[in-house]
Amino acid sequence: MSKVQLTNVRKTYPNGAEAVRGVDMEIESGEFIVFVGPSGCGKSTLLRMVAGLESVTSGQVLIDDRLINDVSPAERDVAMVFQNYALYPHMTVRGNMSYGLKNRGLPKAEIDQKVTEAAKMLRIGDFLDRQPSQLSGGQRQRVAMGRAIVREPKVFLFDEPLSNLDAKLRVQMRIEIKRLQRRMNVTSIYVTHDQTEAMTLADRLAVVNDGKIEQMGSPIDLYNNPATLFVASFIGSPQVNLLPATFDGQHLISGDLKLSGFGDLPTSTELVLGIRPDELRLDESGPFLLRVDIVEQHGSDNLIYGGVLGAMNDGDQETEFCFKTSQDMLPDLDSTLKLGFNDERAMVFNKVTGERLR
Amino acid sequence: MVLGIGLVFMLAPLVLVFASSTHTTSTLQLQGLQWLPGDQFVQNYGRIFSFQAGFTDEITPLGMLENSLIIAFSVAFLTTVLSLLTAYAIVFFRLPGKHIIFWFVLVTLLFPLESRFINTFSVASSLGLINTHAGIVLPALAAALGTFFFRQFFMTLPKELIEAASLDGAGPFKFLKDIVLPLSFSRAGAIFVIAFMIGWNQYLWPLMISTDDSLYTLVRGIRFIGQESGPGMAMVVITMLPPFILLLVFQRWFFNSLSAQS
Repeated sequence: MSKVQLTNVRKTYPNGAEAVRGVDMEIESGEFIVFVGPSGCGKSTLLRMVAGLESVTSGQVLIDDRLINDVSPAERDVAMVFQNYALYPHMTVRGNMSYGLKNRGLPKAEIDQKVTEAAKMLRIGDFLDRQPSQLSGGQRQRVAMGRAIVREPKVFLFDEPLSNLDAKLRVQMRIEIKRLQRRMNVTSIYVTHDQTEAMTLADRLAVVNDGKIEQMGSPIDLYNNPATLFVASFIGSPQVNLLPATFDGQHLISGDLKLSGFGDLPTSTELVLGIRPDELRLDESGPFLLRVDIVEQHGSDNLIYGGVLGAMNDGDQETEFCFKTSQDMLPDLDSTLKLGFNDERAMVFNKVTGERLR
Repeated sequence: MVLGIGLVFMLAPLVLVFASSTHTTSTLQLQGLQWLPGDQFVQNYGRIFSFQAGFTDEITPLGMLENSLIIAFSVAFLTTVLSLLTAYAIVFFRLPGKHIIFWFVLVTLLFPLESRFINTFSVASSLGLINTHAGIVLPALAAALGTFFFRQFFMTLPKELIEAASLDGAGPFKFLKDIVLPLSFSRAGAIFVIAFMIGWNQYLWPLMISTDDSLYTLVRGIRFIGQESGPGMAMVVITMLPPFILLLVFQRWFFNSLSAQS
């Protein structure tokens, strides 16, 4: 039960590359925080700075109000689960799990008890005397988590722990991680580029872009109220539909399209209208004419992709929309659909700065 | 087929030497080396153990064997330990200019020991190492091969391993002892065997650095007993045996680590 605090944390590599450019964050005790962002955005660096595997160029990292910038990783009392598991190949599962405790000088009986307990919780009790090479990917991942659990750390750190697993196992382990975290109530930071993982695991989500936190909040809050164009396009699957536009004082203009229901927007800058695929609906009087390119049947619902006729194009690329609808909706290819949208839920961004205007 | 031819080329000299070592000296001198075993096995091999040689002092083949073993084991052990530690430092520590150091080490591979004999000799003599085991062993330890070999292996270890260990409270020494050493065991065995053979087969350097007959090794001692004699052949066989036995003992490790990632 510990809180983590980052104050204006920066990381600059010796070659001048800035990986993290001033991050402020407060993580409450027992919270599950997910850092999500595209690869190379600095989210892993940030995590590794909390772990002590990466030095802090400037700023402060605190765990329970104790400054740990220069504390060695072992003394920070954090445990980390790595993407490639990083199990010690020559040790048994038991050896892997007890190594950290042994180094702390815990009595053998206590170690045994903790290992057995954790193994039971993770259902790897039958494998305790096997080598990692004899285990499947999912089992190795469990051992890696077991190694973290037995130490009863103040903070759990996960660095894309599920990326090496197949899709089915990933979902299973995702649920299991969430359940474990709930049960143990340990403050956790989880790094991923997978937005489904991010949405489902997080109490609060931090969207990282270019070394900065774009926005932080509960997953559903970020989905409903993204502060920037980046957050809007990163969170949500399928991705939000984006339509380049300008404002003439009364209407949003995009090519031949004129959209009403908008007001109080700057007329001088280029804008982007964002509409979630599930905010679109069939509407004979709607403004959009979608020419159907592809229909993806996902079972419970269908995703219809197609170009928006008459819309302003972004470069050479035709503006394309995704329309999320029910499974019985199966239009012919190249047919057109008239679509309307919920203008209350539509978002407008400044195209240059990415700032949300509405 | 190629393998077969190779095998014949490799085995033929061994058969020849062993067969010849069981004939009398006169047979060898009159009829040349023999392909079939003779009846002098006991006499020839027995002669070796009752033989004494030397100009300034006495040395027996058993004494030579002892010298050879001391030198070869020292070379093997120290080479393995030193190259492992060097590679460990090069791979796992952030040393300024470590790549330059490594390339410098690697470049020494290009120069045979012989090319620096004069300098090495003067250094050894100023350190008072002439006519000592240490004098024979130490210059042979600058073995870039082992360092290179361990470095390549350490580079294949995921960097998360050292990170996981540091989170588990293992510092550089513990990481070496608990993680790196156990993982390197079979590779260390391979380097040990190779270095043992290098130490065992040394000829020119021991010849230069030691003038005392008491420091003769088996390889050098063969000449005392006469290469073309029956006992001489027997001594050649004896000389070949220890590296061979060592290889047999270590063979599983040796091939595992030299062929694939075990």
